[in-house]
Amino acid sequence: MSAPAFPRSDVRILADDGDALHFCSTCAFSQACIAEGMHKHALLDLHVLVEHVGPLHAGEHIFREGDPFVAIAAVRAGTVKTYVIDPNGEEQVLGFHFPGEVIGLSAIDGDRFPCSAVALDTVMLCRFSFQKMALLATRVPGLQRQLFRLLSRDIGRATLLAGDWAADQRMAAFLLAMSRRLSERGFSAVRFQLTMARTDIANYLRLAPETVSRVLRRFQDDGLLVIERREVEIVDQPRLNALAGPVLRD
Amino acid sequence: MPAIAFSPELLRRYDRPGPRYTSYPTAPQFRGDFGEDELRAAALASNGDPIPRRLSIYGHMPFCVSPCFYCGCNRVITRDVARGEQYIERLCEEIDLTAPLFDRDREVVQLHLGGGTPNFFTPAQIGRLLSRLRERFSFAAAADLECSIELDPRFITADEVHALAAAGFNRASLGVQDFDPAVQEAINRVQGIKETRAIVDACRASGMGSVNIDLIYGLPRQERENFRRTLETVIEMRPDRLAIYGYAHMPKLFKAQKQIEAEELPSAEERLALLQLAISELGAAGYHHIGMDHFALPHDDLAQALERGSLQRNFMGYTTHAQTDLIGLGISAISQIGDTYSQNPRDLTGWQGAVENGRLPVFRGMRMSGDDQLRADVIQQLMCQGEVLIAPLERRHAIAFRSYFADALARLAPLVADGLVNVRHDRIRVSGHGRLLLRNIAMCFDRYLDQPVAILPPSFSRAI
Repeated sequence: MSAPAFPRSDVRILADDGDALHFCSTCAFSQACIAEGMHKHALLDLHVLVEHVGPLHAGEHIFREGDPFVAIAAVRAGTVKTYVIDPNGEEQVLGFHFPGEVIGLSAIDGDRFPCSAVALDTVMLCRFSFQKMALLATRVPGLQRQLFRLLSRDIGRATLLAGDWAADQRMAAFLLAMSRRLSERGFSAVRFQLTMARTDIANYLRLAPETVSRVLRRFQDDGLLVIERREVEIVDQPRLNALAGPVLRD
Repeated sequence: MPAIAFSPELLRRYDRPGPRYTSYPTAPQFRGDFGEDELRAAALASNGDPIPRRLSIYGHMPFCVSPCFYCGCNRVITRDVARGEQYIERLCEEIDLTAPLFDRDREVVQLHLGGGTPNFFTPAQIGRLLSRLRERFSFAAAADLECSIELDPRFITADEVHALAAAGFNRASLGVQDFDPAVQEAINRVQGIKETRAIVDACRASGMGSVNIDLIYGLPRQERENFRRTLETVIEMRPDRLAIYGYAHMPKLFKAQKQIEAEELPSAEERLALLQLAISELGAAGYHHIGMDHFALPHDDLAQALERGSLQRNFMGYTTHAQTDLIGLGISAISQIGDTYSQNPRDLTGWQGAVENGRLPVFRGMRMSGDDQLRADVIQQLMCQGEVLIAPLERRHAIAFRSYFADALARLAPLVADGLVNVRHDRIRVSGHGRLLLRNIAMCFDRYLDQPVAILPPSFSRAI
């Protein structure tokens, strides 16, 4: 059976839940923990984990800019958008977060959230205390590495688009980054839904919405991908890689 | 195409009411809890697609000066031109309310005015409507734009046809139905061959790239002999497309049909013979059978789309443009935005009242479930390609076809036994026989036919 396309649409299996002994399949930390021999019952004893939250529906906020920072949330299902409102009152999209990814990391050096987070579709979360997680991380080196990795990725994504890249390169990099992140969590790397609106993609990539469509239509005409409504199928990964190469640099 | 023999017994089994599947689910499934807010949300979501669909617009022009007795369309009989003027005003207001819902980079690639009788309105009035649409929407360049209008040849002059062409219409669809005087008298639509030919010629001379003619089979007093003469006359006019609709006698639903004597109607066997006659005559004259009730010359877009497998079907029938969101304007018009359907009020008062109060005039609709989308996909393929490829369908909808459609396949079994359709491991394919009974085949996949219908009792026309 091939990997499922993101997002899962059957509400009964929206998130692949764990139980007292097993991690959720989308857990942001399970692999790091298991690699260190730290199983879930051991974590439960430490009271780090974890409150499952949701489902939240499209448009519902998880936190808003300025809310007191009490907990970090990891996405178990769906897509979360983070954004700030700039001094002109315009929304600036900071990023999109998929299952297995953590939101609110950029808040860890303050006591208030520096951005807002909103569900773009049906979202399930788990919430945990950052202090306790940090404490645990001192005992579990793999977990610390994982935390740093998530943190640097969160920052890396923001700088990714600061360069002077052409619209095609940005778009290709965006699609490939999404494909990689989803496939890391067991979703199909070649078939997924763009769960964010065209205006969100445009805002994130600093392009006009019409440009997003024009570039994607050209990709489609050139046989790089097929788009049906929100669904993307990557057909020619090597050529998309070549386009995105300079941006992704790896 | 060889004549296809159907036994009377087989005909009786398949001559049952069924939808024409210009949509699935069909309009009786629409519900009152889908209103203006839901339509706005659907339009917003459709703008959010990475490549938002382009747009089609349908305008319903409901007025007629004279009632044709066969008609099942939503129409208003009047000679009062003031009512037409007022209707155009309201339509312009509806355009103002509707257009802002759609991002401006979404091009309109198809516009169709249907009726009623669109040429109840003067070319100047229709020109005003078109200008308002062009102001409020972004129209594709002329070469990519299909701009069509239904015309009643009895009430239009060659000059008016030229005026419509100058306004931008590049396709016309002419109502004929039948040229036999006895049939014409029985349906209250007396229309000369000469005047019809003059309008066909005017369409051509004005530069309209495509002319369609509508015929109806199954009308009172129709026989193979006189229908053959109608077909020969029409073929001589050489329209690019032909639609041959089956007459649906439902006088309880359509009041005008009470004027038609039921005993003058052809029997089921005779109806099928008329349809087969049309298919063979048109085939011999070089027309391709597009599916259901549509035929086209090989050079026409529809025939080419059939060839390429890109044919689509929407509320306007077969089209090359169904990968669009469809905006319906005017009374009773249906919109198809994203995975929703919505319909305007079917009465002038309700529609007018909403528009005058600045509300989108939606009175019912629905959001398609995943199951609806899957079944719509199957029915679309049956209607347009004549076959369903199983593996791609399973992939698109993440299902196991045989278990998911176990019930449908059981319903299909007798049709397989009758040779209408064959079911192979990789595909379901409609046979030559089956092409005449597409509705019956599609009905096997219609989940709602097993259930009581929510609003109205089932009132579909006969399948043959």
